[in-house]
Formats: sequence, C-alpha cells, structure tokens
Amino acid sequence: MFELSTNVATPKQLRQGDYSAYDALYLGDFSCPDYPKNFSADPDLLAGGVDMVKSQGKKCYLRLYAVPSNHDLPWVRKVVEKALSLPFDAFEVHNLGLLLMLREMGCNKPIHLGVFGNLYTDATARLVKDYGVTRVYPNPELSLKEAIYIRDHTPIEVLMPIHGKIPLVVSETCFIVEHSDKAVEGDCKFSCSQDHWLTRTKGEWSLKDTGRMTLSGSDLCMLEHVDELAAARLGAFYVQSHGEDVDYAARVGEIYRDALTRAFAGEPQRDLSPQLEALKGLAKMGLCNGYYYESAGRRYFGEN
Amino acid sequence: MTALLAPAGTTEMAFAAIDEGADVIYVGPLGWSRRPYESEMTDDEIKTVIDYAGARGKQVRVVFNTFPSPFEMDGFLEKARRFDAWGVSGFIVTDPGAIALFRRMFPHLVLHVSIGSGVTNAWDAQFYRALGADVIILPYRWGEEEIVETRAASDIGLEVFLFETVQTGKICPGKCIMSSYLKFRDWQEVEGKDYFYGSANRGAKECYRVCQTKWDFGAADEPPTPLKLRRDARLMLEQLPRFVDLGVECFKLSGRERPTAMIRDLVRFYRKVLDGIESGEARDMALHADELATLQARWISEKRKRVDTLMTRADGLRSDAPWTASA
Repeated sequence: MFELSTNVATPKQLRQGDYSAYDALYLGDFSCPDYPKNFSADPDLLAGGVDMVKSQGKKCYLRLYAVPSNHDLPWVRKVVEKALSLPFDAFEVHNLGLLLMLREMGCNKPIHLGVFGNLYTDATARLVKDYGVTRVYPNPELSLKEAIYIRDHTPIEVLMPIHGKIPLVVSETCFIVEHSDKAVEGDCKFSCSQDHWLTRTKGEWSLKDTGRMTLSGSDLCMLEHVDELAAARLGAFYVQSHGEDVDYAARVGEIYRDALTRAFAGEPQRDLSPQLEALKGLAKMGLCNGYYYESAGRRYFGEN
Repeated sequence: MTALLAPAGTTEMAFAAIDEGADVIYVGPLGWSRRPYESEMTDDEIKTVIDYAGARGKQVRVVFNTFPSPFEMDGFLEKARRFDAWGVSGFIVTDPGAIALFRRMFPHLVLHVSIGSGVTNAWDAQFYRALGADVIILPYRWGEEEIVETRAASDIGLEVFLFETVQTGKICPGKCIMSSYLKFRDWQEVEGKDYFYGSANRGAKECYRVCQTKWDFGAADEPPTPLKLRRDARLMLEQLPRFVDLGVECFKLSGRERPTAMIRDLVRFYRKVLDGIESGEARDMALHADELATLQARWISEKRKRVDTLMTRADGLRSDAPWTASA
C-alpha cells in the first residue's frame, strides 16, 4: 500500500536503532566517504548490512557517494562491484556520470535517483528512466503538484520526504574540518558526531551542517497532510534522519507509520496534537513544510 | 582557436563586449537564466543583440540555465524556437532533460552544459556528450589534472571560467538551494511567468548569495567561529597558456550583473592575453600581472557591492508567499 523508509549510515546505527516502523532502509551516508564505517564507502560492510536488513523483512537500498570526483570513482566502483553480488533491492545515485558507469558495469538492479540528482522535470525523469532509474527523489524545491505531475507524466515512482531536515547543499570537502583546530589532514576526529549549526550573525537564519552537507534548520513535517498524500496516491515516503540520533528515526517512524496506515485505510486521523508536540520536541529549530506549498522552504502550513 | 565568451546583462554590455573583441556573448531571457531581471533581457533586446553580433561576425548564446518547472516546459521550448529563428548560435542549458530535447530540436546549434548542472567528474562529461551537448563548462575548482582527465574521457568541448576559487567544498551552483529555503521573492508578471518559485535554480528569482553574508559556525558547546561560506573568487591568468595547450576551447567571463565598464575592460584585457598566447608572442603571464591586479581589485569591489545589494533586498523580503497562507 505504501512504503516508509529512512537512512542508516553505519552498522552500529543499524544494530542500535529501532527501525520497526520502516519498510525499507537506505544504507550509507552519501555525503561523506570519510564517515567512519559508512556503508556507502566500505565494501566489506555491505554483506552484513544487507543481511541484517533482510532478516528484518525490509527492503534494502544502497546509497552511493553523491559527488564523486575522478579520484573517487575507482573506490565507488569497488563498492558497486561488491554490492552487485548481494541482494540489495536498488542502488541510489545522485550523479549522472555514476549512473552511466552503472549501466556500463551491467547493473541490472533498480536505480533510485537521489536528492542531489537535480530532478526538476518529467523530461529528465524520462531520460534517467532510460538508464534504469525506477524511482526519483524530486529536488526539494518542487511543489507537491509538480512531483505528482512528474510521477504521472513520466511515469515513474517518486519518493516523497515527509519528515526531517531538508538537504540544501552538498560539499566535496568537510566544512567542519576546514574550520576546526582539532582535526588534522587525514584525521577528521569524527567532529561531525557533535551537532554543528550555522547561524546568521545578524539574526534569524539557522542551518544545520554535518560537514559535507548543509541541511535546513527546521524539520520538514507533513504529519498534518498525510491524508492529502494518500489521496494523491503517493506511495513511497521517506524520513530524512541524516545527522540525527537513532531515537529520532524510531520515534518519527512510529508516528508516521500510524498516521499513514490510517490515511491509506481511509480512517479518520486521531487528534494529532500529541504527535505534533513530540515532533516539535525533536526539532531544535521548529517545523516547516519545505517547498511543497510553493513558498520559501522554511514556512510551515498547518491544516488550520 | 579558443573563443572568448563574454557576459551581456544589458544591450549596452553586449555591444561593449562585442566591440572589445568577444567572440561570443551570452544573454539571459527574462525569467530563465538564474539572474535577477535587471541582468536579463527582453526578447526584443535579445533580437537586437543577435542582429548586432551577426553584423559583426560574432555569435550569441542564450542562457536557459534554470531548471524549468514541468508545467512550463512548453513555454521554455517555444521561447528557444523563437531565438533560433532569429539567428542565435546556441544555448547554455542546465536541465538534462531539456538538453536532450534541445539537441533533437536544434541539431544545428551549439549546446553548452551550464555550471548549474553540478558536474563533478569526467563520467559526467561523457553522460552529457551522450545527450548531444557540444561544450561543458568545468567546475570553478578544477585544474589541469581534471582537464586532462575530462579530455581523455570525452570529445566534448571544454569551457573554463576566467576566475578561480579556493576549494571550500560547498558546490555552487548546481547543488545548493540555501537561498530559496531562507528567502522568497515575488516575481513580476512578465514574459509569461506569473508564478512564484522563489529560487535562482528555477528562474525569475535571484540567489541572494546568502553564503557570502556573515555567519557564526560551531558546535553547541563551543564558541562560534565567524565566517563566510564561500571565499572571494580570483580572476584567472597564469593557468591560461597551459589550459590553451590542453585543449580548452572556450574561456568564459562571468559578470552579467557587473557594470558595463568593468566588463568592457575585462574583455579587452582577456582578448589581449588570449591573442598573445595563441600567437606565441606573449605566453609569459607575468607581463600582465600589474594590469590583472588592478582589475582584480575592481572585481572584488564590485562583487561586494553586489552582495550587499542582494542581502539588503533579502532582508526586506518575507520568507513566505502571502497568497498561500494555508495549504
């Protein structure tokens, strides 16, 4: 009926987290190859990861590095070679050169185009579909109407993020390391394990920075709009939990699992106030609706 | 033969760039080229510029480097057909799907892959070549090594910006939507675009260069570090002879939003430099160092004025669209 997914970067997170609310997991941190024990960067971790996910009866997707340089492509290729021999259900790519490489490598698994794939048009969706892409994550700037249009006119499955911080910028180097007096070249000291924030000196703007990716300060929240999502026959939903602790994914997933189940069953929603309060409590800089309703990304529209 | 590609944010700038020796100029149609409207042109102005360039043996590229909405693709293509009929020589395009469509519609025109496409490796160049693109602009931060690698991977034409940046990571443009997350500007009803996306990527809006204002950065338990997210770019010089030798076919000067006098002087300068390299008579770039230093100082000064203007605008804007008060 619907699929709810989230992301898991490392074996440790996979072991420690409660992902019972989810139907599928995207393994790996696509933004940072240096992130310790990152599924996206270490072929030796893949078999154990996919086994663990499959043993829980979930689909398992592998995220590939989003912005590979020429120097990165050889190790990315090794990751892909290993993953092709394992029961991953799909690869997620953000880079068109890598998409071409997958085809050349004879990849016969479904491919998902990730958030930094810059998918804005059905024309591009049709194009990447010819390269084996079966699911697209529209650029966050697209409205709900545009995402639905792309789904219908390509046609192709669209992955709709429904909660979590919005990926805004990806980097080829680590912003935290560049501005740290602790890290030295080749040893980042895993400084991103601490929350880092960018705050405009003059006032109101706040963004979260995980080193190689800058995210919205506010958490996208579509809880009050799940009925609308179900009515639009959208079926693949995603909780963006990069940069959050494992409890975040568990709690958010639980809330949305319940709301989406009701929506897809045609049942009226319960009073969502307690759940909204819980989500607000997890969001340091409040909630927003991203660009879904054709406004600046940090605006929040409630039902009322 | 390398080409000097110069900006034309106004007809005055276009005429100046052509008169000073640009081989090709690029113009942005209102609402479709990642720049505020004062640095874009009406269709009539673009026709005027095409005629002016054509009469002098020069070329005009029209910049369609926004990502169009799926709802506006028909208008996007219709406008391109109009410019083709008027004699434009090519387009600069970002959206991969649009590049493929343009290739089928305009087999006789030159198609450039815009910097907004967010290329990061030589396989990207192969991908765009397979779509039918003729020229790809290389990321600001790339040097000789990447040029050689890209040349080896594809026969696509190589284009390089005439400025360089220190590698600070954030990929801009092409992988950044910070500005539209923070601020949203109404667009005027003009050129058929009467809706409101609030994004440089999507046209009719400007990037407010929020990366260049002052930020505080740090972990919660540490004193914040004041910084800008990107450093100032520097005009390029010493790399040029080697880049020409490596087969770079097009050098692009940016700055549609800068004063015409600045662009006029830069075109004159780079024309002289490139001619000296190609003739072999002036390959020592030290000859131009003093002149470059003067231009660099003006370049930075004008850029800072521009950033100040944009931030002042951003501070005066709402972060929401007033007509969408509820979803």
